[in-house]
Amino acid sequence: MNEFVLALAINGLVWGLIIALIALGLSIIFGLLDVINMAHGDFFMLGTVGGLVIAVSTGSFWLALLIVPLIGLLLGAAIEWLVIRPTVRQASLTIVTTFGLSMIIQEMVRATYGPQPRRMSAPIEGTIPLFGIDYDLYRIAAAIFSALCLAAFFLFLNRTKIGTWIRAVRHDPETATALGIPVTQITAFTFALGTAMALLGGVIAAPITTVEFRTGIDVLPFCFMAVIIGGLGNLQGTVAAAIMLAVLEGLVTSFVDPTTARIASLAFMSAVLLLRPHGLFSGATR
Amino acid sequence: MTLARARLICLAVFVLALLAVPYVLPAFGATFWVNIVAEILIWSLLAASVNLLLGFTGLLSFGQALYFGFGMYGVALSINNWDVGFLPALVIGIAAASAMAFVTGIFAVRLTWHYFAIITVVFSLIFYFAAMSTKWLTGGDDGLSFSPPPVIEIGDFSLTLADTTAQYYVILVIVAVAFALKALVVNSPLGLNFKAVRENDRRAALIGINVFRTRLAAFVIAGALAGTSGALFAFFGRYASASYMFYHVSGEAIVWAVVGGSGALLGPLFGTGALIVFRELASNFWENYLLAVGAITILVVMFAPRGIAGAWNDMLLALTARGGRSATTAIATAEPAGDAPDHAPTRSNADG
Amino acid sequence: MADLALRLSGVTKRFGGLVAVDDVTIDFPGGQLNAIIGPNGAGKTTLFNLITGETPADAGRIEFAGKDIARLKPHEIVRRGVSRTLQIKSVFGGLTVVDNIRAAVLTHRRIMAPFRLVSSFASVSARTDELIEEVGLTGHHQTLASALSYGDVALLEMALALAAEPKLLLLDEPICGMGPQETERAVAMIKRIAKRVDVILIEHDMEVVFDIADFIMVMAQGGILATGTATEIASNLDVQEAYLGSPEDELAC
Repeated sequence: MNEFVLALAINGLVWGLIIALIALGLSIIFGLLDVINMAHGDFFMLGTVGGLVIAVSTGSFWLALLIVPLIGLLLGAAIEWLVIRPTVRQASLTIVTTFGLSMIIQEMVRATYGPQPRRMSAPIEGTIPLFGIDYDLYRIAAAIFSALCLAAFFLFLNRTKIGTWIRAVRHDPETATALGIPVTQITAFTFALGTAMALLGGVIAAPITTVEFRTGIDVLPFCFMAVIIGGLGNLQGTVAAAIMLAVLEGLVTSFVDPTTARIASLAFMSAVLLLRPHGLFSGATR
Repeated sequence: MTLARARLICLAVFVLALLAVPYVLPAFGATFWVNIVAEILIWSLLAASVNLLLGFTGLLSFGQALYFGFGMYGVALSINNWDVGFLPALVIGIAAASAMAFVTGIFAVRLTWHYFAIITVVFSLIFYFAAMSTKWLTGGDDGLSFSPPPVIEIGDFSLTLADTTAQYYVILVIVAVAFALKALVVNSPLGLNFKAVRENDRRAALIGINVFRTRLAAFVIAGALAGTSGALFAFFGRYASASYMFYHVSGEAIVWAVVGGSGALLGPLFGTGALIVFRELASNFWENYLLAVGAITILVVMFAPRGIAGAWNDMLLALTARGGRSATTAIATAEPAGDAPDHAPTRSNADG
Repeated sequence: MADLALRLSGVTKRFGGLVAVDDVTIDFPGGQLNAIIGPNGAGKTTLFNLITGETPADAGRIEFAGKDIARLKPHEIVRRGVSRTLQIKSVFGGLTVVDNIRAAVLTHRRIMAPFRLVSSFASVSARTDELIEEVGLTGHHQTLASALSYGDVALLEMALALAAEPKLLLLDEPICGMGPQETERAVAMIKRIAKRVDVILIEHDMEVVFDIADFIMVMAQGGILATGTATEIASNLDVQEAYLGSPEDELAC
């Protein structure tokens, strides 16, 4: 295979794994709270900004990797309590609230971090020979780390008590309440977790992307594509879709410009929405 | 006085104020503001298109910028390539937007709830990217400029947009006609169908309403409103740019519609007016005024979901209420996302 | 009113592995008040959903006025003359009583007129007033449907069903949740309407059913258990057994 194309494909895989993390966050929020979080891409952006700022000021990227998701948890919990919960009863308007939130987040970053895009140096330097090309070591590490986080997420969801509670509430909130599960707290936690995952994706991605207040705008549609094509409620499907879309887009970009590739993905997403609204893969619960 | 009469008087005052703008504002040394009001009028039609779908039909479209774009480019391209006059260009713009709304609506309207919102964004993104990448046609981000033809040309007399006052009145007339037509539709049998579908689409089907066609009709009319907004915008700015087709524009229109009052006929005017005026005033001394806009959005949804128009109606109701307790309670318990009743309840006509 | 209100032939509906309606074949006679009874989960409401086109049937024919309506859309079926009320009373909450009924009358008369005011249709307003009188909602013209009492919502729903001038009226548990006075009112109205419109009703209240129904069909587990007059059904052992299985309070709607 052509080296250039191979590099693009692997780039796609790396991005796909990171996006999968973010998209999962979007999916559990959409699935459990029935909220379209227009600010989710901006959560990712916050992760990149947080990553860069903490890494630069403390000198340690690893510290950023640890702290940023924790900030995400707190931020998500706060937002759920202050903004989401009071407006959830106007279900069709939560998209408006989160749009307002998106405005606030972007503007706050623009005001403090500034409008200038910045790049940070990779915490792991060097390349590694892979299938005949020299590939960025950090990207490989990022891919592996994201994959580990994904695995951890599914383990959490399927093997822990809280994870089971989340799945129960998603499946049937009324029965869950009857069983004594603290639905309000689980809802808040789910939003916090989804937020944290977006920020985690952001900090992982910080060394391989431009860090500026507008990065969220591009990421949001991509996450939605993964969620819809993978099937709402089908978490494994979302992961598969994210990886598939990213790799495909990466490959297609080698012979077509990125905009056309994006149009093709969007058209594909429309087709899925119209023809198979439960997503491409079976196993969707909604 | 009755609620109906109070509202009529308010409307009359409002219209008179709008008519007086090009003469009154310059007297205060604020000539610049005449153009701002013109801009508000133009954008209010985009908010009106959201309002028609959301408040009256129960559909949240996050992609009205697409039809705005078709209106905008319809004007710019037809003038640049075919050298048409003002009215033909306007008609072409509106027709293009409506046609696009019809074609996309056939697919979009099959979906409901969140899926509808998502697909409207997706459609608008597809065409946004398409417009950005066909720079030769659309000018992409930089846009396409053109010189607007005169509005009317009769013999030696010609009315052009070069004159701020003339331009203002042309815009005012077109926007007023658009709102008047919207008012007619909303209070017509078709409009009643919109509301029935909004309230209970299962019940609507069970009384014989073709829900799909009803929603499609609303979508096309909303597309026409958005297209008119885009067409006027092109004339006003003498240019068209793909960047106005991005979903952020759709989102802003939703914010204007919701802040103004999503169930009320003139809600879009209030919302657009309030937020654009706020933008003009705030951006002078606070660079990050968007923070306030975002906060306002959230606060309105939380505390005043019926928006400015809703609050205004409540105030008028409180001021004019006499007896008719059941009607008062009935209105007070109306769903926020529904409309403020657009006809006054009967009450004893105690005095004039 | 026709000789035959409705003919079902082999109507079947499956949800995954569950057979909700099992090969139902029956002729509902015209000119009579027909009732469908049966324990919970027997498939009665599903059967109604199949007739009104809201749920697609997996197999079978549903013949109304000589035509098979099984594949038609709900609004098309309404236009052919089949109206329905729902178990959980369903009206247009945010609209006034008048607007609720006007919407139904305008739709029945195929009036769309996007540029004429609703209030300009005098004959529609007259018909609306007529219907309000008929169901007994006089004086509530401008009340929001969401502000009506439960019994009044049921009356409004009936008005909506009647506005379509149906030849067949399907009533799904019309007196569900009503007190004794409201029940009396509702039953009287149903008897009145049944004189000029074919009626099929689903009901749990045996007293009411045995009082007003001319023809009763008993459903159990998706199929027909028995059919006949009130006396025949009351003395049918299979029917008694089907109901013995369900405790008293489970029969409440």
